[in-house]
Amino acid sequence: MSQPRKTCLYDNHVSLSARIVDFAGYLLPVQYESIIAEHLHTRNCVSLFDTCHMGQVLITGRGAAEKLSRALTQDSAALPIGKAKYGFLLNENGGVIDDTIIMRLGEDEFFLVVNAATKENDIAVLSPRLAGLHITHQTDWAKLDIQGPRSAEALKKFVECDLTSLKYFSVTRTKFNGADCILSRTGYTGELGYELFMPQKFMPGVFDMLLENPLVKPAGLGARDSLRLEMAYPLYGHELSETLNPKDADMEFFYDPQGNFVGADALRKYAPAQKLVTLVGESRRQFHPGDEITCGGKTAGRVTSGAFSPSLNVAIGMGYVDINASQTGAELVVKTQRAELPVKVAEKPIYTKGTCRIKVTL
Amino acid sequence: MIPADLLYTEQHEWIKISGDTAVMGITDHAQNSLGDVTFVELPAIGKRVLQSEEVCSVESTKAASSVYAPAGGEVIEVNSELETAPELINQDPYGKGWICKLKLADKGDLEKLLTPEKYKPLTEE
Repeated sequence: MSQPRKTCLYDNHVSLSARIVDFAGYLLPVQYESIIAEHLHTRNCVSLFDTCHMGQVLITGRGAAEKLSRALTQDSAALPIGKAKYGFLLNENGGVIDDTIIMRLGEDEFFLVVNAATKENDIAVLSPRLAGLHITHQTDWAKLDIQGPRSAEALKKFVECDLTSLKYFSVTRTKFNGADCILSRTGYTGELGYELFMPQKFMPGVFDMLLENPLVKPAGLGARDSLRLEMAYPLYGHELSETLNPKDADMEFFYDPQGNFVGADALRKYAPAQKLVTLVGESRRQFHPGDEITCGGKTAGRVTSGAFSPSLNVAIGMGYVDINASQTGAELVVKTQRAELPVKVAEKPIYTKGTCRIKVTL
Repeated sequence: MIPADLLYTEQHEWIKISGDTAVMGITDHAQNSLGDVTFVELPAIGKRVLQSEEVCSVESTKAASSVYAPAGGEVIEVNSELETAPELINQDPYGKGWICKLKLADKGDLEKLLTPEKYKPLTEE
C-alpha cells in the first residue's frame, strides 16, 4: 500500500493546526476548528476547501465536441462556450465509472474535472473513446473551492474577470492576482461559489492571500460532506459506483434518455428495482454508511451516506431502498449499531436556502 | 486543561465528589478528540452502575463513544440541557457540560481514580 500523497497546500493546513486524514490517497484536512462551525460559516459567509487532489483534464482538437458527446453523458456539442455541465462517465452497461463536470473553454477546447480516486482510470477509459484528440492530464495544476454567499466579495479584488456576469455553471479563463487561471462558478455546497484552477506553485500563496480577509475561513472534508448531503449531492464511491447507474441514483434529469453516449442503450433497457433516496431523521442521532434500512419491519435497503446536519439540527443521509419504499414521505427505520432510528424519505435538496444561483452584485 | 479539584479516569471522565454524591462528565481531552458533540444519550434516573461500567453514550460528527462511570452508584440527576445543546460538552466540559450526578455506592471506588497529576500524562500521547 503506497504512502498517501500531500497536496500543495499540506503545509498551509499544518500551520493552521488542521486535523489531517487520508482521503482517496491524499492527506487532507477533515477539520480545522470544528466541522459544525466550518459548515455554518460556509452557509453564512465564505470558506476555502482544498480540492487539489481532484483530476483536471484538458481535451482539445477538431471534433472534440462530438467525441465527448459520445464518451460522456453530457451533450458537449450543444454546450455553449463558457458553460459547464454535470454528468457521468459510464461503462457499456450504464454503470457509473465517475461523475464529472465538463466545461467548454472554446470551440474545440474542453476542460474536464473528475474525482481523485478515479482520475487515472477515467483517463484510461476515455483515451480510446477520444482517439485523435489531445488529452492532457494537468497534474501540475491545483484546485481550490471558494464557497459561500460572500465568496464573490472575497474574490473580487484578485480576479480580472467581471464576477457579476459569470453566471451559475459558467467558466472563464482569467487571471488571479496576475497569474493565469481557470475560474468556474460551480461547487459542491449549494452556496454561491467558485472553483479556482491554477498551477500548483501559486496555490499556497493564493490560499494565504484569501485568508487575509477576516470573512474567509478554511473548511475541511467533514464540512464538505455535511454541506453536500444537505443538498443531496451524490459522492462517488457512496451513492455512485460501477454497479450503480444514473437511473438507480434518481439522476435521469442529468442526461438525455434519447442520447447516443456510451451506456445510453443499456440505460434505456434498464428498469431499476431500487432507488437512491434522501433521508431525514427525527433526532440528532446519526446513521452511517452500511446501516440497514427497513420498511414495515422488513429489509428494504442500505444507507450510503449519513451525517449530522448543522443547518437543520437533525441527522440526514442518503441510501438505496426498494422502489416501493422510495416515495417522498415514506416512513422507514434505520438500524444503527446502538438504536433503531425512524427516518423519512425527503424531497431534495434537504436544505433549500442555498445561494448558488443568486445574481451576483458587487 | 485539567482542573485541580477533580479526579479522573483512564477513559477520560472526570468526577467531583461532594460527600455522598458526585457530578461527572468527560474531560477537555475527550471532547477535543471527539470533535463536535451532536447527541448525548443521557442515562435514566435510577440507573445503577458499577465503577467503569458504561453509564451513557455520546455521539459526535466523528464517532459514537461510551462514557464510563468513574465510580459506582445510582444516577440521581441528569443535565437535560444537553438534549438541545450537546455542544456544551465541547464548550464547557467541566462546567455547563456536566453529564449526570451519582449517589455513590462505595467510597472505596474513589481510591482507584487518578489525581490531576496522574491524569495529565494520559492527555499527552
